[in-house]
Amino acid sequence: MQKILPKKELGAFLKNLIEKYEVIAPVIEKVGDFKISKFKVIKKPGEVYLKENTLVPPKQFFLPEKEALFGFNGNKIESANLGKKKRIILGIRKCDINSLMVLDKVLYDSLYANRRNNTILIGFWCKKPDKYCFCNSMELKDLEKPGFSNFPKQKTQSFGNYYDLFFYEEGDNYYISIGSKKGEELVKDLKNSKKQVIKKLENKKELLKNDIENHYRNAVWDTCVEKCLGCAACTIYCPTCNCFNIEDKINIDLKSGKRIREQTSCQLKSFTEVAGGKVFRETRASRFKHFVYHKIVLYKKKFGRYMCTGCGRCLRVCPTRIDWVEAINLMRDFEKIKEKGKK
Amino acid sequence: MIYEPKPYKITEIKQYGNDIKLFRVKTNMNPMPGHFFEVSILGVGECALASCSYNKDYVDILARNAGGVTNVMFNLKKGEEIFIRGPYGRGYPLNLIKKKNIILVAGGTGIAPVTSLIEYIEKNRKDFGEIKVFFGFRNPESILLKDRIDKWKKKFNFTLCFDRAEKKVNGEIGFVHEVIARKKPGTKNTIAIMCGPEIMMDASSKILNELGLENNKIYWNMERRMECAIGNCGRCLIQDVYVCKDGPVFRYDKIKTKLENEKS
Repeated sequence: MQKILPKKELGAFLKNLIEKYEVIAPVIEKVGDFKISKFKVIKKPGEVYLKENTLVPPKQFFLPEKEALFGFNGNKIESANLGKKKRIILGIRKCDINSLMVLDKVLYDSLYANRRNNTILIGFWCKKPDKYCFCNSMELKDLEKPGFSNFPKQKTQSFGNYYDLFFYEEGDNYYISIGSKKGEELVKDLKNSKKQVIKKLENKKELLKNDIENHYRNAVWDTCVEKCLGCAACTIYCPTCNCFNIEDKINIDLKSGKRIREQTSCQLKSFTEVAGGKVFRETRASRFKHFVYHKIVLYKKKFGRYMCTGCGRCLRVCPTRIDWVEAINLMRDFEKIKEKGKK
Repeated sequence: MIYEPKPYKITEIKQYGNDIKLFRVKTNMNPMPGHFFEVSILGVGECALASCSYNKDYVDILARNAGGVTNVMFNLKKGEEIFIRGPYGRGYPLNLIKKKNIILVAGGTGIAPVTSLIEYIEKNRKDFGEIKVFFGFRNPESILLKDRIDKWKKKFNFTLCFDRAEKKVNGEIGFVHEVIARKKPGTKNTIAIMCGPEIMMDASSKILNELGLENNKIYWNMERRMECAIGNCGRCLIQDVYVCKDGPVFRYDKIKTKLENEKS
């Protein structure tokens, strides 16, 4: 059963939520001459920006760019304080819900688990995917399939549901799917909808081929690698990239400080450097391929699903417009030509 | 929290050559051979170091003064505290190598994890067949854990290999793989375990292949940068395997194509 919410009442609905929870929603922020859309804690319903998906993914609210693992003073360790603040992330899209499924399988420390358990997810249907989106080619084609709204329990622990509420937009109303008890609680005062509105996304882009395992030495990769500057923007904006660095930051008294983890990128040469100076992924080609293969092939081998969610952020932010999705599609065409030649 | 290390007391320090020290730390961690630890100095950082002992009461850690943490470790004195979390990794496949003849190949500080296995074999000698050890060092001056090696020489078939030596030495001269090629150890019912630079392991594996040992009987002990040691940080990924969680010991035939793909 879906609930119905007229569009003009969204403000009042949000206001109600802001009073009870910390609400994180997409906003648009001016940085110099640029407008950047990202998730932020909002104070007023008017701040919310729901026209398109954000440029910056919501992963920082689960795995911050930089966070303290613990503090220390001399030889004494002070444990990190796990906040119990209840949060709502509103306006999270299908691809980013998908990204949380990916992160859940990799991360299991108490800092992440705590944030995950205390966050309610309110998803929004994407009205206008842009030319970089290819989420239909990746996992989670159909959000309403049973199993997606309920989190499959892991051996060690279980987090909340993948979405607690999901908003579909049609005409002057939002039609709300309910994914969990927590979500049901939030919309219990709304009217029941007479009809069920479930929409599919339409992508212009598509990843046609995904069995690229034997294509490590395919010449098509060179067209990507030649353009790659190694700037690491693709990994920084990727909603599923979770690699980090552990470092100690010491205070000026030279006694106390914090051990922090900080987001890093496999595109940087120092990523695989060991003591003594040996770098294991030395060439730009090997680092670039590691990124793509990890998303499409390697993660799937280990965890049974794609790491890529098809949000298209890596393509959107690339300064040299590398389109690895097209490159992989091209490999398929090459194969076809080869097969024709054989005949 | 899994990232919080615990303090342990250093009970003994021994120095080998200019830049390598052995730290004996009193713990109850009870690591199996091939496990490793995240050793840390608060305010400096963490580094992954292998265990090189098999004992309930203490842990031996061999460290080369090569980075930030090990540099500070070098100034530590007996009785001071060091922070450790672990043990991590899967260690050596002890069940698979029992009742077999074993060839151990290691070079430089790579002997550290292998010595933990030798100590295990020493304590459970009946479970294992013939043991042949090939340890490679740059020169006779840079030999590590000399006291233990001298003791083991009497018990096992031990060959020390030196890249170069100026005077006459008790051992062979040449790279490890060259010495193996010369000595031609038998490979019947045998498992080979290696640790050291990848070039050394690669060359030695090829020689053992020629002597009749297949790749599925060879185990490599890999080195990668490990920040978290629990499979979260993604630093040690070789293709789809985490060296920290799925390794650091891998069967050579399983890791070979992965390493080749990595380099392409």
